[in-house]
Amino acid sequence: MTPLGSALVGLWPYVAAFLVGWFVPRRQGWAERLGVATSALLGVVLIVGLWPVAPAAGVGDDKPGEWPHLLNLLVFLPIVGALGVLFLPRQAPKVLRAVTLAILAGDFVVSLWLLGVPMTTGWHFQYIATWIPAFGIRYHVAVDGISLWLVLLTTLTTPIAAYVSFGSIRRRTKELCFAILLLQGAMLGAFVALDLFLFYVFWELLLVPMFIIIGVWGGVERIKASYKFFLYTMAGSVLMLAAILYLVWVHTDLVGYPTFDYLALSRLSLPRVAAALCFYAFALAFMVKVPMFPLHTWLPDAHVEAPTGGSIILAAVLLKLGTYGYLRFCMGMFGGAAWQSGATLAGIAIGLGILYGALVAWKQADIKRLVAYSSVAHMGFAMLGLFAGTRAGVEGSVLTMVNHGISTGALFLLVGVIYDRRHTREVREFGGLAKVMPVYATIFVIMTLSSIGVPGTNGFVGELMVITGTYVSQSLGGFAKVQAVLAALGVILAAVYMLSVVERMFFGPLTNRANRRLPDLSPREVIALAPLVVLVFVIGLFPNIFIARMRPSVNALLEDYEQSWKAHSEMPDHGQARMRAQPEGPRRKGYPEPPPPRAEPPGAEAGREVARLPTEEDVP
Amino acid sequence: MTWWSTLFAVSPLVVVALGALLLMLAEALGRPAPAADGAVVTDVGSGRAGELGIGSAVVLFAGGVFALSLWMVGPEALPGAEGLAPYFIVDRFSAFFGVMLCLGGGLSALLGGGYLDEHGIDRSEFFPLLLWATLGAMALAGAGDLLTLFVALETMSIGVYAMVGLRRNGRAIEAALKYFLLGGFAGALTLFGAALLYGATGHTDLAGIGASVGTIGQPGSTVPAGLVLVAMALVVSGLLFKVAAVPFHMWTPDAYEGAPTPATTFMAVAVKCAAFAILLRVLFGAFADERVASWGTGWPPVLAVLAVATMTVGNLIAGRQESVKRMLAYSSIAHAGYALLGVVAAMRSGMGQASVLFYLLAYTVSTVGAFGALILCGRRGAEAVSYEDLAGIGRRHPVVALAFSLFLVSLAGIPATAGFFGKLGVFLAAIDAELYVLAVVGLLNSFLGAYYYLRVLVYMYMREPSPNAPRAVPMRSGQVGVAIAVAALLVVWWGLFPLSIGADVTAAGSAPMAR
Repeated sequence: MTPLGSALVGLWPYVAAFLVGWFVPRRQGWAERLGVATSALLGVVLIVGLWPVAPAAGVGDDKPGEWPHLLNLLVFLPIVGALGVLFLPRQAPKVLRAVTLAILAGDFVVSLWLLGVPMTTGWHFQYIATWIPAFGIRYHVAVDGISLWLVLLTTLTTPIAAYVSFGSIRRRTKELCFAILLLQGAMLGAFVALDLFLFYVFWELLLVPMFIIIGVWGGVERIKASYKFFLYTMAGSVLMLAAILYLVWVHTDLVGYPTFDYLALSRLSLPRVAAALCFYAFALAFMVKVPMFPLHTWLPDAHVEAPTGGSIILAAVLLKLGTYGYLRFCMGMFGGAAWQSGATLAGIAIGLGILYGALVAWKQADIKRLVAYSSVAHMGFAMLGLFAGTRAGVEGSVLTMVNHGISTGALFLLVGVIYDRRHTREVREFGGLAKVMPVYATIFVIMTLSSIGVPGTNGFVGELMVITGTYVSQSLGGFAKVQAVLAALGVILAAVYMLSVVERMFFGPLTNRANRRLPDLSPREVIALAPLVVLVFVIGLFPNIFIARMRPSVNALLEDYEQSWKAHSEMPDHGQARMRAQPEGPRRKGYPEPPPPRAEPPGAEAGREVARLPTEEDVP
Repeated sequence: MTWWSTLFAVSPLVVVALGALLLMLAEALGRPAPAADGAVVTDVGSGRAGELGIGSAVVLFAGGVFALSLWMVGPEALPGAEGLAPYFIVDRFSAFFGVMLCLGGGLSALLGGGYLDEHGIDRSEFFPLLLWATLGAMALAGAGDLLTLFVALETMSIGVYAMVGLRRNGRAIEAALKYFLLGGFAGALTLFGAALLYGATGHTDLAGIGASVGTIGQPGSTVPAGLVLVAMALVVSGLLFKVAAVPFHMWTPDAYEGAPTPATTFMAVAVKCAAFAILLRVLFGAFADERVASWGTGWPPVLAVLAVATMTVGNLIAGRQESVKRMLAYSSIAHAGYALLGVVAAMRSGMGQASVLFYLLAYTVSTVGAFGALILCGRRGAEAVSYEDLAGIGRRHPVVALAFSLFLVSLAGIPATAGFFGKLGVFLAAIDAELYVLAVVGLLNSFLGAYYYLRVLVYMYMREPSPNAPRAVPMRSGQVGVAIAVAALLVVWWGLFPLSIGADVTAAGSAPMAR
């Protein structure tokens, strides 16, 4: 390539950013232009800086430059901040808001550090500390190529949600700041925890602030919606706790010491009946959260009643905990049972998630409810990719999680914008809005296209990968191809319901008088939306940036998934569990060691049985 | 030279008894305080609830300190302690319960100091009664003989009957009478069972009964198996009444609601814990033999059914209550169910008893805190009783609301609180004993429970009082505040570092139950 040519190729991102800045109308204020330009610049930096390069030969496992406390900082900065906010005066809402935003922005900046290391197969930024040694409970956090993106999604969307909330919510700011910060810490904790106990603690912890956000600042039926949210999730998670305790007990029985660690418990190969029961106990907890039909009924209520900021966090992050949990824990720990149930669950995800969700969304008169049901359909895609259990499927699924967070989060934000102006969300109240709110209409259309999955936007990549992944899936058996075709039908239905609502809201004659003088997006709203718009195109045009970083982890997970399935098919229905052999490798780093023999507690009977230390036969 | 070690072994009880006597003297000789509104006070010693509350709390905490030092020295190192067995067993189990009961009783006394004064019922017999009842509870936890069992049980109960009826209005009298009649009936059941046991085995000490029960079915044994079973059923029924397990729970809601809140707290905390202590002692001291304590025969299947019924009924009815106090009463029934689950698990799992002890400890601090916060939410003539009364407290009195939320979250068993680890221990023990179904039922029940605890949070934070309704005004009381602060500290401490007392609980839970 000629020097000029390569220079042009090297310069194109800056040219693109320049063009974006150029097209921002001059009448917009400086803050707005600055926000847009910053977002565009960040997008460019993201593309250039993260362009996947072949990993240099001999990149070992001891990665310098990984600060072990990074994840601790990420998780505990918001939690400590939440406690700190309690001591700030209630009379100074501006200070409260500024502090909260500063903490969230700081968290985001810190989280960008995660991108600075090559995501090789193993665990990164791992940090382990003993917590409750007698039960084998440790504080064990780490990221890999999968959780990395969800952590980043969280740190990106929460500040946006907070920023938007501060624009529309004016009462009880202190409680709002406290709830958002606590929620952020708990969500991040759940994404990085590799100890099942720690995961469960964060998983339960995040219920409380979300419950408060829906119940205090929500709509008319907010209390009912917040109950529903809390109780559905709790019902799923108590069964998960039962399964966790059972796994720990089996592990103790087999190896001689208890541990709640993911690395150790994922090596368990249970007899088939027990494995299926444990799998469903976990899967139920996650499917409530995703949510999958028929456990989805809390979602529309929660979304409709929640304030805009709450809806954004709910859609962008909380739902992902369900899919992430399924990927990490169900597929990672019960590979066999997950494989076996894959076809059935995939059928549910397609028929009752993607198709039914889309059809119900089509019939909604309330825009927020429509977006909520479209979530059910999109999350159906994410789950389908996981059930397929192929590389394309899982990668597409993770990408769909991120995409859904961006586009649905943005759609909820946009719905909140129009609700703030008109205090209604009925589609028939609107029409011809593009004439009075051109910027709003433009962004809405962009997000709609992204949500439908038009080529060039992020939605396309994720859904295409899920569908191809489904087509070649082994675990779905003979139905794989039919299911892929049906899933593709869901994309068409998405176009039907989203485009029809866009058409009815934004185009056609401006009939309703109340819409004549609606102000267009405020600077605050533009600044909040700009990064999301940029990301739509970054992911849509350069998905490889994202996929390359998750690939080693996905490969390792799928390899383990298949081995787990093989081990599972050799197990009897009932009987003794055993530990699966697992080669030494980067993914075993941090494996819980047996505790040193303890002194007997005072007064304990001398003859009582003490925990047996593992011997060679125990560990195959 | 064993007299001093004997004295040291019983020092917690002696301290409490001496303190009770002193307090009675002080009450009898003290002049009534002039009432603030100039009303004539006729009762001797009344108007001194504040001082007496602090006094009894000091006595009980002193008793707790003695129990703690007994623990530190180690009951097995005391030669004089053996001489008291079987009438009073000094071991780690009774020392542990000594600390727990003194803590629960002392915190209840602090609540009483603030509450009685505020609500104009500060007739000071409350505090000596509370001390004597605590003494009975501590003696009950150490009873290794059916005679001491009965005497201690009645010492504890009679004091509580009187405390329930302190208010002297219709509701309180109904509550006291109901509790007294049913409690007397249950005491009689226990006594009758004890008599039958003596007839069947020729022993009144639990160890002797246990040995005799062990010979059933062997050649040459003269112990009639049927009679032993009937006697066991009678004794255990009487104890389950005190625990408030279904179907012996009918008195609980009325008694809890009618009693002044500190008395309710004491009943929910000390009486229940002591009853669990003696239940463990009787079941694992006298009836631990394979023939009566295995899944196929004997008490475990019956208790398992009762445990499930207790937690389910408690939780379901608690969800339907409109009064927070009554809700807490039903929730205490449900908690008895979880603890019973641990008792059943202890039949096969080594960690069962320890899990019950930790559960009771966590339950004690959470319950004291919850009742204390409820007390703080109301004022004279406007006691916070119903959910409506709590509406908007979150905004008007954020500290109290936050504390109340913490205790309810702990009772609901949400992580990072003591209550969560209490539940976790019990369910782990159930799984360890391979009682999977019971563990799952228990976990589902903890989900049922979350509903009504959450409801309090909803009212406190998400609803505003209706404009015309009388509005509960939070009271101020240093004593209640201190009690809540101590309880909150322990809830959080044991919620983050449950193992700080893990070894102690294990040691207490693994002591042999009878000598």
